[in-house]
Amino acid sequence: MGTMTRSGRAPTRRTMSNRTRETVAFYLFMLPWIVGILALYAVPLVASVVLSFTDWDLFQPPQWVGLRNYSSLLTGEGSNFWLALRNTAYYAAILVPVNLALSIGFALLLNKPIVLRRWFRTAFYLPSTIPIVAVVMLWSWLLAPSGIVNSLLGTVGVDGPAWLVDPARVKDGLIIMGVWQLGGGVVLFLAALQAIPRYLYEATMLDGAGPWRQFRSITVPMLSPIILFNLINGIIGALQVFTQVYVVTQGHNAGALMLVPFLYENAFEFNKMGYASAIAVLLFVMIMLLTLVVLRWSRRWVHYEGEVS
Amino acid sequence: MRPRWGQRIPVYVVLLFGTALMVLPLLWMVSTSLASTKYVTTFPPKLFPDTFEFANYGRIFSDTDLGRYLFNSVVIVIPSMVGQVVASSFAGYALARLRAPGRRIWFVVTLATLMIPYEATIVPTFVTFQYLGWINTFWPLIVPQLFGSGYSIFLMRQFIMQIPTEYDEAARLDGLGYFGIWRRIIVPLSVPALATVAIFTFTFQWGNFLGPLIYINDPEKYPLALGLYAMTQTSNVGQTPDWNLIMAGGMLLTVPMVMVYFFGQRFLYEGGNALGRIRV
Repeated sequence: MGTMTRSGRAPTRRTMSNRTRETVAFYLFMLPWIVGILALYAVPLVASVVLSFTDWDLFQPPQWVGLRNYSSLLTGEGSNFWLALRNTAYYAAILVPVNLALSIGFALLLNKPIVLRRWFRTAFYLPSTIPIVAVVMLWSWLLAPSGIVNSLLGTVGVDGPAWLVDPARVKDGLIIMGVWQLGGGVVLFLAALQAIPRYLYEATMLDGAGPWRQFRSITVPMLSPIILFNLINGIIGALQVFTQVYVVTQGHNAGALMLVPFLYENAFEFNKMGYASAIAVLLFVMIMLLTLVVLRWSRRWVHYEGEVS
Repeated sequence: MRPRWGQRIPVYVVLLFGTALMVLPLLWMVSTSLASTKYVTTFPPKLFPDTFEFANYGRIFSDTDLGRYLFNSVVIVIPSMVGQVVASSFAGYALARLRAPGRRIWFVVTLATLMIPYEATIVPTFVTFQYLGWINTFWPLIVPQLFGSGYSIFLMRQFIMQIPTEYDEAARLDGLGYFGIWRRIIVPLSVPALATVAIFTFTFQWGNFLGPLIYINDPEKYPLALGLYAMTQTSNVGQTPDWNLIMAGGMLLTVPMVMVYFFGQRFLYEGGNALGRIRV
């Protein structure tokens, strides 16, 4: 790109206006990303939609089947789609609110003037930096049927379940791993809490507001943009969960069959590319709709500083 | 107002309890990684091993393939980081500084890519890479990182917008072209944002599991995360894997990530502030 100002291009340079040169520079700098947008997003996205109307095993040419993939997913005999959706919804519906509530709670405590605050903060943040595969290795060891967690539960007289094996409990085991990694949220809330001006609390204190009242009428509204951010990220992340589920079950536990592992097994184990694309399209639409619903609902409770109400 | 100690005690109790839940599993990972094979099979499990076997960390390189997996991970991660940093700083500079028809549209499109979930494009992308003969190579993992990403480019643009344009003007009077301005002015002044992009790319690529799982079948070419997983799968049914070695492998996967966060914290703070909110 440096050649533009050097030799070789001199004749063109004389005829090009400054405006044209700036435009050319813009598109040269954007070139890698524009190629990326087309090759990694736009074309594959359209291709996913097209493939979802076909039957394709990668060996024979794709066969156009219209809406058959969708109908067999949604209403077909023995379709696992609803099972995967139910499991994913259970996982998201517990993990997201629990993480949200605990992150806010711990952030509030960490925001108090306590000794060793930095150490506490690091302790809460540390697990969230660990790669998921390592997290699963660690927790499979802790939650093994005769592992340390069950042996601790045994000392208080509780007969611990086979956490990551029993189809009825495997989702709970996965949720525990998710809760353990809540540190990113804690740090975000902590930063947001530190940005709340003190005078707001002092003013309500003069009005005789107690701690609960202050929490309701100052802390929550001031945190609401970050709550929304965490809520949307949490929902999207939980709906797309893959690695934990796969490493724990290899896809062979009906109790933890979730949407992306379901897509994975159809695409990369059964070579059902059209069927898998239909799952991808449904998941994409669900994520979009859910995000829009949450954004719309958030207008009622998100408070933006500087907004005239 | 200083609350009395009596009111603080519950705060400390809850925080200590939470800290224990966060840190004890990690301590257990460290202690198991240093334990003997006999220790990890005793029942009921003991909290701490009697002896520490630092030789375990040698054994993961001599008795297992983790050394090779580690090498593969490094080979994948480094070009990915370089590619992301260069491509996103190019695009960020163009979107922040250069006036051209279509600039707004490209910015909106960049933000729109953030809303596309990865699995929505995974099947056609796989088919394409298979067609190119890239299965069992590192290309499907590295090449997508060479174009930048919506998030990195947004972050770079926001950061570059904060750099005063007077610097560009002065450099232009000194005879620098657009590329010269990018190299001499923009790059040196956006180090925190570049570091943030590098750290996020490292985080993604170092822990990436789905990509290698789909594209790499040859155990010789496994990166660390996939190789560690494969290690737990090779043992026969009913036979417990060597948990001490697996935990040592887990440490191998974990420690570089924690170090990157530890040393990168400063940059993450400055780089993230460009987004108008503080992260880390």
